[in-house]
Amino acid sequence: MNYELQVNGKRHRVDTDADTPLLYVLRDDLQLNGAKFGCGLGQCGACTVMLDGAPVMSCIVPVSVVGARPVRTVEGLGTVDKPGVLQQAFIDEQAAQCGYCIAGMIMRAQALLDKHPSPTDEQIRSHMMPNLCRCGTHMRILRAVRRAANTFSRQPAGGRS
Amino acid sequence: MEQAGRRRRRGHTRRRLGWLSLVAALLGIVAVAIMWRPALAPIAAAPRFEPGLVERGARVAALGTCAACHTVDPARPFAGGFPIETPFGTVYSTNITPDARTGIGGWSEEAFTRAMREGVSRDGHLLYPAFPYNHYARLEQDDVRALYAYFMTRPPLDAPARKNEMTFPFGLRPLVGFWNILYLSDEPVRPDPKQSAEWNRGAYVADALAHCSACHTPRTRLGGPDDKRFFDGGEAEDWYVPALNAKSPSPLPWSRDHLAAYLRTGIAPGHAAAGGPMQGVVENLRQADPADVEALATYIHGYLAQAPARDTPARRPGSLPPPKPDDPDLARMQLGHQVYVNACARCHDAGRTESSGTALQLQQAVALYDPDPRSLIHLVRDGIAPPDGEPARWMPGFGAILTDEQTVALAAYLRRYGAGQPVWPELEKQVRKGKQ
Repeated sequence: MNYELQVNGKRHRVDTDADTPLLYVLRDDLQLNGAKFGCGLGQCGACTVMLDGAPVMSCIVPVSVVGARPVRTVEGLGTVDKPGVLQQAFIDEQAAQCGYCIAGMIMRAQALLDKHPSPTDEQIRSHMMPNLCRCGTHMRILRAVRRAANTFSRQPAGGRS
Repeated sequence: MEQAGRRRRRGHTRRRLGWLSLVAALLGIVAVAIMWRPALAPIAAAPRFEPGLVERGARVAALGTCAACHTVDPARPFAGGFPIETPFGTVYSTNITPDARTGIGGWSEEAFTRAMREGVSRDGHLLYPAFPYNHYARLEQDDVRALYAYFMTRPPLDAPARKNEMTFPFGLRPLVGFWNILYLSDEPVRPDPKQSAEWNRGAYVADALAHCSACHTPRTRLGGPDDKRFFDGGEAEDWYVPALNAKSPSPLPWSRDHLAAYLRTGIAPGHAAAGGPMQGVVENLRQADPADVEALATYIHGYLAQAPARDTPARRPGSLPPPKPDDPDLARMQLGHQVYVNACARCHDAGRTESSGTALQLQQAVALYDPDPRSLIHLVRDGIAPPDGEPARWMPGFGAILTDEQTVALAAYLRRYGAGQPVWPELEKQVRKGKQ
């Protein structure tokens, strides 16, 4: 089956089975390797990307349900040379240990900050709950999201990404 | 003549006014008596309790599922703050730790007992019946005392009550006094001599403690239990709560042992998995005395056994079929079937693996047989999340993954080809409502 996907503002065509997880399409067909395969069951969040503005675990999203809705991955936030605000905050807080969960963490956090640029600590905690980190850098991850939120709320609207 | 008549009429009016004000005053006194309760003096320090009484209190609290509403953050047990949506507004559970300022630290046993039995706070204000004191009114006093000992020995937490969001005029607490006249009775649970001791224990646990009927019995327009329709099925947090009597939607008959396993673990293999508001109940019952939960199962099963055996697709679980080519709703059914095959079948169908755990084959899922689609929609969207830090049943939510159109099609397809029943007429409306 042929599917047309909108990923990070670009249109892509892929030929794959209807039940192929979006995660496999991103990694294998589009070479967007930010999102990681963790559990494959929608339990750990390493594969989190944004679908139509909401965080989803892409390992349980069949490519056939995506349709024209825009997909956003960590590659859409910035580059190594020019990291996005949230990516920079994760670097500044040194929030990654092994780093496997971080692309998913960043995308879940981005979805929060898009909707609530100045979240409370409680909102950050409950929003980040579904994503797991096995190294135990949760406190740094929370600090990084806080730092990015503080940066966003100092910026005029429109400059948030 | 004329003047005298006028005078007489005036006197008449005055007399009538006198009567009216007397009646009004009397009504006022009655109204005050209905709506006003005195404050009870605070205590300076909690009394000492026997450890045995505190332990008994823990078991009683688990059966009463207190934590289901009074604990939001597992790290702050019984600090309250859980929103309970009612047709009259949102009521937030309160802090029942012994914090002197924001909890029940200043409450005497008398004040605690009055709150449990009459729904009156220590300072005299009436509590909303979202707190099921109309059930606790029938507790044995020893159980109330044990609960008091348990809560007064919890770590005190500072957590002020959140402001309720009631619609007019229900923000006026004294009105609850009239609800109490209609629905509050402290008549004890009377043992039925024709039933076993276990059944009678179960009846007490179900009615005075676990307050099963608070959700499993429909409510009147005034928010009271509609006892003529006892266990006919109700609602909680916008989920349909299944009937537990002859009207049970369950496609397979419940056995008593299935039910006992379900109440303690949330899973009856091949039969049901607890979701939504029932998860908190199971989590509490898991910590209760197993003999009490067995008794509860015996009692509830007495009602569930009234359901007639039906021939349903649940007796022949397996792969769900593609829609029939002559289905009048073919396009939507095809979309639903595609979503099922691509998103659900991995765990729920023939391709099940170890990691599918206890995922039901969907002909067996009770939610497909409910009289309305609300629970199915919640399950698809929010999934089933285990309690914090506990290994338990799990289903990921598909709320952000599926569009409304896909969700409607999936639910319609599952209803038709999973349960073999006509699609709920209000399905589309319910899906759109939930997404707001």
